[in-house]
Amino acid sequence: MSRKFTPKVVTANALLEGDVVYLTADNRWSRVHSEAELIEDEAIAELRLLDASARDSEVVGPYLAEARPGPNGPEPVHFREAFRARGPSNYPHGKQETQNV
Amino acid sequence: MYDYTDFDAAFVRERVAQFSAQVARRIDGSLTEEEFRPLRLMNGLYLQLHAYMLRIAVPYGTLNPRQMRQLAMIAETWDRGYGHFTTRQNIQFNWPKLPDVPKILSALADVGMHSIQTSGNTIRNVTADHFAGAAADEIEDPRPVAELLRQWSTDHPEFQFLPRKFKIAVTGSPNDRAVTRAHDIGLRMIRNDRGEPGFEVIVGGGLGRTPMIGPVIRDFLPKADLLPYCEAIVATYNMLGRRDNKFKARIKITVFENGLDKFRALVEERFQALRPQFGGADQALLAEIERAFAPPDYVQKPLAPYHAALTDPVFRAWADTNLSPHKNPDYAVVSISLKAHGETPGNASAAQMRLMADLAETYGHSELRVSHEQNIILPHVHRADLPALHAALKPAGLATANIGLISDIIACPGMDYCTLATARAIPVAQEIAQRFDALKLEHEIGPMKIKISGCINACGHHHVGHIGILGLDRAGVENYQITLGGDGTEDAVLGDKTGPGFAYDEVTDAVERIVRAYLEMRHDPSETFLATYRRLGPAPFKSALYQEADANAA
Amino acid sequence: MPHDSAPDRSPLDRVLDLPPLAPVARRVASLNARYRHHGATAVMERALHDPEVGRIALVSSFGAESVVLLHMLSVMRPETPVLFLETELLFPETLAYQRDLTERLGLRDVRLIHPDPEALRARDPDNSLHRRDMDACCLLRKAEPLERALSGFDTWITGRKRFQGGTRAALEFFENEAEARIKVNPLARWTKADVQDYIQNNRLPRHPLVARGYPSIGCAPCTSPVAEGEDERAGRWRGTGKKECGIHFVNGRMVRGPVPADAMPAPRPVLVRNDEHAPQEDTADATPAPQPDAPVIVTDQGFAADDWSHPVTPLAEFSGPTGPVTAIEIGPEDDPQLLARHLPEIDMIRVRFPSFSDGRGFTHARQLRLMGFQGRLRAAGPVIADQYAMARRSGFDEVEIPAELARRQPWPQWQRRANWRAHDYQSRLRA
Repeated sequence: MSRKFTPKVVTANALLEGDVVYLTADNRWSRVHSEAELIEDEAIAELRLLDASARDSEVVGPYLAEARPGPNGPEPVHFREAFRARGPSNYPHGKQETQNV
Repeated sequence: MYDYTDFDAAFVRERVAQFSAQVARRIDGSLTEEEFRPLRLMNGLYLQLHAYMLRIAVPYGTLNPRQMRQLAMIAETWDRGYGHFTTRQNIQFNWPKLPDVPKILSALADVGMHSIQTSGNTIRNVTADHFAGAAADEIEDPRPVAELLRQWSTDHPEFQFLPRKFKIAVTGSPNDRAVTRAHDIGLRMIRNDRGEPGFEVIVGGGLGRTPMIGPVIRDFLPKADLLPYCEAIVATYNMLGRRDNKFKARIKITVFENGLDKFRALVEERFQALRPQFGGADQALLAEIERAFAPPDYVQKPLAPYHAALTDPVFRAWADTNLSPHKNPDYAVVSISLKAHGETPGNASAAQMRLMADLAETYGHSELRVSHEQNIILPHVHRADLPALHAALKPAGLATANIGLISDIIACPGMDYCTLATARAIPVAQEIAQRFDALKLEHEIGPMKIKISGCINACGHHHVGHIGILGLDRAGVENYQITLGGDGTEDAVLGDKTGPGFAYDEVTDAVERIVRAYLEMRHDPSETFLATYRRLGPAPFKSALYQEADANAA
Repeated sequence: MPHDSAPDRSPLDRVLDLPPLAPVARRVASLNARYRHHGATAVMERALHDPEVGRIALVSSFGAESVVLLHMLSVMRPETPVLFLETELLFPETLAYQRDLTERLGLRDVRLIHPDPEALRARDPDNSLHRRDMDACCLLRKAEPLERALSGFDTWITGRKRFQGGTRAALEFFENEAEARIKVNPLARWTKADVQDYIQNNRLPRHPLVARGYPSIGCAPCTSPVAEGEDERAGRWRGTGKKECGIHFVNGRMVRGPVPADAMPAPRPVLVRNDEHAPQEDTADATPAPQPDAPVIVTDQGFAADDWSHPVTPLAEFSGPTGPVTAIEIGPEDDPQLLARHLPEIDMIRVRFPSFSDGRGFTHARQLRLMGFQGRLRAAGPVIADQYAMARRSGFDEVEIPAELARRQPWPQWQRRANWRAHDYQSRLRA
């Protein structure tokens, strides 16, 4: 099947705090979506996900989420990821408290 | 009210110690996430969209003021200053951190509470009629039986790793406020021809992906046979339930695929083997529990303040909607609405929790309840105290007169919090409530239950909403399906699907079209939406819903 | 971390250039005052470089937490001598770990300190002294060799910590050891969590026995695992009241506590380089190596090897007993009712759990007991420690787990649930 690969970021939740984190190019877990490594190649994405999955002591449930390049770095594509990157809509809690998202 | 015995208290402490060690072992690597997950779920700890979520059991929805105050303390100390009361009579905290959870559990143990089995593939918190012990129509208080079931199901060694979750509800009234027909086991208290108390046992009901109204597996189960019979049902399910497909793992599918007769035969066989194990200790314990649920010491005083207050239209409107008949005619059951227009359904701030605790102490014989409709109940308030109670609730935003009306909406947390969600539910509820408040149509419309779920798992019970709304993800866009005519009472009916769904910003208009069609078509104001829908069928409502939508689109 | 010594100069050469040192007590007081508010790395860093410290060695057991100091040393000054007491009764895992760490951390001067061969032949020819006189054994294999090995040094570094409790609760960074030497304890103020964080943050390899329930590791005959919540060192010299080796050698006489300054033994260094000429490390008769991949049987008493030597017949292939001993395996899909006729003749039933989250086995066990089965009932599969009480309460006698799981979840984690009779709602309801 010749499905075109869309760019991805590796995302998960931090083990201790539970908040949303993104894997950066230098292997950090960032709280900020725009700092994520945008992975354009499917094979590399799989590898990066494998790397992330091995970090069971830092994060829970890593997966690949669709993203697209933006002026300040990767941006979420799906609305679910947009909520994860921002916080709930009924209170100003979560990332929107501290980040300009 | 039932207070923890030394045994309960020691059990919960031991459990807190176990979970503290499990958290430490997860952090030090002895436990993988795969192994830790069922253990944390067994203790009510989920990982949600933005954070962990801790779900705390309020067994059969009953709380005392001390417990409510402790929930307020937890909200302020380890969370964001509020809690969310759920459709299963639980409370959820949305922002705890993993290392803090043992401390929260310890604080809960201090007031005889826990979060055990509020998640996971096990027997969940047993729910009961939130008017139990107070309702005028009650045969018997279902809570002692619910407490017995709680003790039996807690840490049951055989049933911690079932094929899927398992929910039991008990009602003691012919008017089923516990939705027993939509539970894995539903227990309806009845008396047989000889006047002996027992249960009609319903098995395999449930909403979710494959909604089913549960069939009756036993017309009459003597009270003393309850535990062995329930154990036989769950053991049979444990062996027979499907483990190959999560979506077919609930007991409703097991019963459906094997047929009720075969399932019943297996249960009865198991029951015969198990019955001799219960030689009366359980009934002795039940008798003790029943004593703990003795009715409060009702007081007698003149009703004059109540009658005088009825001339105040604001109080009158509140009394009309938020009071239910009590078995003692001088008393009323008060529903405190957690559905102020524009607020998040089911949420209460720490300050509100403390106020409700104080008021329960002052006016309510120190009892509070959580209803599955996400409101707080003061089950025993003398009518003479109602004006003072109402006056105290008002400044805290807790006197909304909308119980059973269109803004008393059930909504699950949806995609604002839940990892399973496919769309948001909370803001949809907020907008509908604000719309009808602005239109000042709420009281004109009368009884109306809107129930919103943010995914097919139906935590918002949308199938049994008069108007049910199901949020889905259609190609990366939120889309809402509307069902009509559902009913969660003893005459449980699943709502009819109307047709294509609506975009996020079209839902409130769609609901308004349905409501306006009802207002036009009803015989008179006494004919409820549900009655009108049953008389006319879905067609005129669908045409109102879609023809106008088409007209708008054109 | 900077290395400020030239690699071509030995540490001994370097310190020989230094002026003579002040008396120990004064130097200890001055060092403690200076480093009072310093962290472990600062103390370590300075201990390795402060002229007041003199000739220095790290004494390491290559035990459960040794990797922390070894790692600091490898980063700061990998050529520093590391003295490793090879008592010849160590676990083979410790020796393997020592070789592995030396290699991975690039430690350049690890010296294996063996007991004196003549003394060994005379006093413990069959390696059984520890059974008769534990203190004498420690003296022979640890205290005497250490004393000899340290004689060329002014200062030694240890990994002792206050949290280890008992005699160590008031430990300072620098100690005066009988006016003869300075003892440096860089980790004195570290907590257990600090140690774990350091190991984790630096991705350091752990001693293989840690995962099997040994938080403190000494010689094989005198070390046992400890339970969760037990003192870290409870597994050392268990049941004897002995807490520290703490034995010093004074003129052929054994004493506890600090060595009196006037009673120092004559220097007789026996330094053995850790290279191909190292003496044989054959300790096989003292510590038989465990079967690495054999499953482990868990009972209320602890971990054990499988003692069941008879064949186990899958239920589907069973038509009746064929010999004097009968054992049956039941899978999750099997119906135990098929065994009803034969139960009295069956000695053991092994109920297979395909995964820990598949709870059918618990109902199988309960059913077999309801049917009257009196024999040995075993749960087999990746059942986790947290399910032990469930298994026992459902009617199982024991649990058979894979070796990997036993390593990751050692006995102490199971032992917590070995109190399965306590806090049991079912036992209150069934009577």
